[in-house]
Amino acid sequence: MNREYLDILLKRYWDCETTVAEEQELRDFFSRADLPEEYTQYLPLFSYVGEEQAVTLSDDFDERLQASIIAAGRKKEKEKTRVFVPLLRIAASLLLIGGLAISLFFITRQQNKPYYTETTGSNTDTNTAMQHATHALEKLSDALQMSEEASVETIRSIDDLDIDWFTLDSLSSIAADDSVIVNSLRIIKEENI
Amino acid sequence: MSTDSFHTIILPLKEKLFRLAYGIVRDRSEAEDILQDLLLKLWSRRDEWDGIGNLEAYCFRAIKNMSLDRLASMAIRKADLPEQEEEQRYFVDHHSPHQALIQKEQRRMIDQSLRLLPETQRLAFRLREVEEMSYRQIAESLDISEEMVKVSLFRARKKMKELLSRY
Repeated sequence: MNREYLDILLKRYWDCETTVAEEQELRDFFSRADLPEEYTQYLPLFSYVGEEQAVTLSDDFDERLQASIIAAGRKKEKEKTRVFVPLLRIAASLLLIGGLAISLFFITRQQNKPYYTETTGSNTDTNTAMQHATHALEKLSDALQMSEEASVETIRSIDDLDIDWFTLDSLSSIAADDSVIVNSLRIIKEENI
Repeated sequence: MSTDSFHTIILPLKEKLFRLAYGIVRDRSEAEDILQDLLLKLWSRRDEWDGIGNLEAYCFRAIKNMSLDRLASMAIRKADLPEQEEEQRYFVDHHSPHQALIQKEQRRMIDQSLRLLPETQRLAFRLREVEEMSYRQIAESLDISEEMVKVSLFRARKKMKELLSRY
């Protein structure tokens, strides 16, 4: 490499006009063992760059990277299952609640069912039940009528006796003994009968 | 399709992405850790890649942001620790131990002055010099204009020239 060309190249280098290939040319020149004295001042810079270029990754970097990628993949899988487990829990609880709700619905529906829907079979059954009921009601009505008639009869006979109520009241006030009244009333009753 | 992109576009970038992360955090194991995080994230979201226009630039932007975040958390962690020894790195020693010492000192100086550069200048310089990327690629990776890349690179190189001229 002649000096003139080298000087031009160097000038262009400082002015940032060199290409990547020309810069490589310069580095090659400065790595020569027989570097002319006047250029040695710039040697440290080109040596520095050359050294920095020689820095490489450790030999086991690829292995470590691969291992970490595999480990990360496993971790992701674990995370996936970890996400899946709570979902399963939620699904299980929903299933449980749903099951309970459905069973409760059927149980309550069974209890609400009216009794007759199970016992009544045909129209004849209804008719006999109605007959029974009517019969019972008629009996009750008869009994009530009889007692009413008896009451009316009693009141009428009491009125017929023409009792002096005033004397009776005074009697009860003089004679503190209740038995007198009871007796008098019994007499009245016996007479009435 | 997506799985293919991972092998054809993303994985071939791993060394470049690693070096960019290393350029920011200056710690090999941290840089590898960041890259592993990024690749893992990309792999797990491979279904979403179709929405990304330039997957390559996206990867560079992502690793840059992740590295800057990591650097901030590292600074917090290291704040309580005593000053750690710089990583021991030497030039190939062709010459005398004296020469080696000088070279080591020069290297430390370049490293330090690069660190003092504004973020865009530092990253533009790194992507151009170390990763040999075109201005367009750098612009897309840093999410800035090509013009801005040129300006940043020019300033970074100027700074380096000034620094080296003092010797």
